[in-house]
Amino acid sequence: MPAFSGFLVFGVLGLAWFATSATGFVSPFLLPGPFTVAQAGWQLIQDGSLAKHAAISLQRVGLGYGLSVILALPLALLFGLLPRLRSFCEPALEFLRQIPPLALLPLLILWLGIGEVQKVGVIVLSCFFPIFLGALGGIAQADPKLIEVGRICGLSRGEILTRIVLPASLPALVVGLRIALGYSWRALVGAELIASSAGLGYLIIDAQNMARTDIVLVGVLVIGVLGLIADALARCALRRSAPWLRSQLELGRV
Amino acid sequence: MFEARNLGLRYTVGERAFAALEGVDLSLPRGGFTTIVGRSGCGKTTLLRLLAGLAEPSDGELHFEGGGRPRIGYVFQEPRLMPWLSVAGNVGLGLVGRLDKGALMRRVTEALQLVGLSGFAEAMPDQLSGGMAQRVALARALVLEPDLLLLDEPFGALDAFTRRSLQMELVEIWRARGTTIVFVTHDVEEAVLLGQAVAELSEGRLVGLHRVDLPYPRDATDPALLAHRRTVLERLLETGPNSHLKETVP
Ligand SMILES: Nc1ncnc2c1ncn2[C@@H]1O[C@H](COP(=O)(O)OP(=O)(O)OP(=O)(O)O)[C@@H](O)[C@H]1O
Ligand SMILES: [Mg+2]
Repeated sequence: MPAFSGFLVFGVLGLAWFATSATGFVSPFLLPGPFTVAQAGWQLIQDGSLAKHAAISLQRVGLGYGLSVILALPLALLFGLLPRLRSFCEPALEFLRQIPPLALLPLLILWLGIGEVQKVGVIVLSCFFPIFLGALGGIAQADPKLIEVGRICGLSRGEILTRIVLPASLPALVVGLRIALGYSWRALVGAELIASSAGLGYLIIDAQNMARTDIVLVGVLVIGVLGLIADALARCALRRSAPWLRSQLELGRV
Repeated sequence: MFEARNLGLRYTVGERAFAALEGVDLSLPRGGFTTIVGRSGCGKTTLLRLLAGLAEPSDGELHFEGGGRPRIGYVFQEPRLMPWLSVAGNVGLGLVGRLDKGALMRRVTEALQLVGLSGFAEAMPDQLSGGMAQRVALARALVLEPDLLLLDEPFGALDAFTRRSLQMELVEIWRARGTTIVFVTHDVEEAVLLGQAVAELSEGRLVGLHRVDLPYPRDATDPALLAHRRTVLERLLETGPNSHLKETVP
């Protein structure tokens, strides 16, 4: 039912879009109609450029996101195990967290050039904190009552960590992973808008330079749809691997 | 099994320190079945936690026969099941990696049978009723085959029939295995029905240790048992926070 009403909203928005452009209420240059946009999209699909740009963007997101997970999870685990290390590093990390990754883009370009490394770097900078903080929060909030059960059952410290604390921290970690997924798209498109020669962000900025608002809209729509698909896949993977979170998923809390 | 001398635990709540448990002297023989009764908040859970080593005493000392703590099974006041593990996974929590798979499954199945949940091995905790969850917690403690079994109001959430059959089951296990049992309850009838000795706690102090010398299995309607129940109730009423009201035992 929520899915249906969600699509209904899309339908209404589409109709409104159609109406405003068909009546000439808004100039077609500012807001091309749905058919113009569809035509532009079809053309981009046919000449393969849409697929090419999307693939490049997806690859960057996948790489940056994966790298963030590989960095953030062990570090969160280490901090969970060593509270001293945590309080030692926390101020520096907290400082870094306050800086929007795109504000660091000029420095990244200077240090890493305008190639792939810099784009992946921006994504890592923006994904790392949601994942790291989600995992850290989850570990810190693991129910001490369940940990006591582990102690009574004779589990070692390591076993308590892997068999009780980690599963217990999963809901918070999943929230972090999902937020990071959204952030990674934003950071990527931001980076591609500023310095790049391929990718969906480039497609948009290039179209803007050529005054092709319809292609700009195609890019925007594709980014939105890809984001939705990624999120749905993430939910689906979670539902399969952690069925006990089902009720929380349905309530939309995870 | 153990001997507690002048055992006490103080908590600080806000600015003020108060004793959840104070000056408890208690020694239990190996293989004994002792029940602990008292009002809500009198320190029953606190005493069990000290025995289990989940909390450290702030006063006094605790000695176990043979030096170290024996193997302990603990049934908490709440079920405390891991929501990500099936019933079988929860029961086998302390055995994974210590037994091979076949032996583990046998032990788990046996324990689930004891608590009457044979058909629920694959169920997830959120599919269980409160009483079923509590029985899973009991199976999780029994499966460890502990030397000292600590139970904190384990049957509080059960209906009278299930409660009665689990009480009998527990007495059977105790007699068959020779496990030392400490059983906390706020129900005086349950305390005298199960225990060889009933320890009466009031406001953090041990106010009496009442022996119940009746053979097992016991009958709740036995007049001798009712007399014991009356004695224990009277002592708790005498020492309770409202003792000035001079309540009378029905
Ligand atoms: N972690 C804690 N911090 C502060 N005070 C505590 C803590 N745990 C227990 N207490 C206090 O210690 C006293 C005894 O608590 P305890 O849990 O042992 O009672 P109980 O006899 O098990 O009660 P019930 O039958 O309601 O379970 C209570 O007054 C309680 O407020
Ligand atoms: Mg209690």
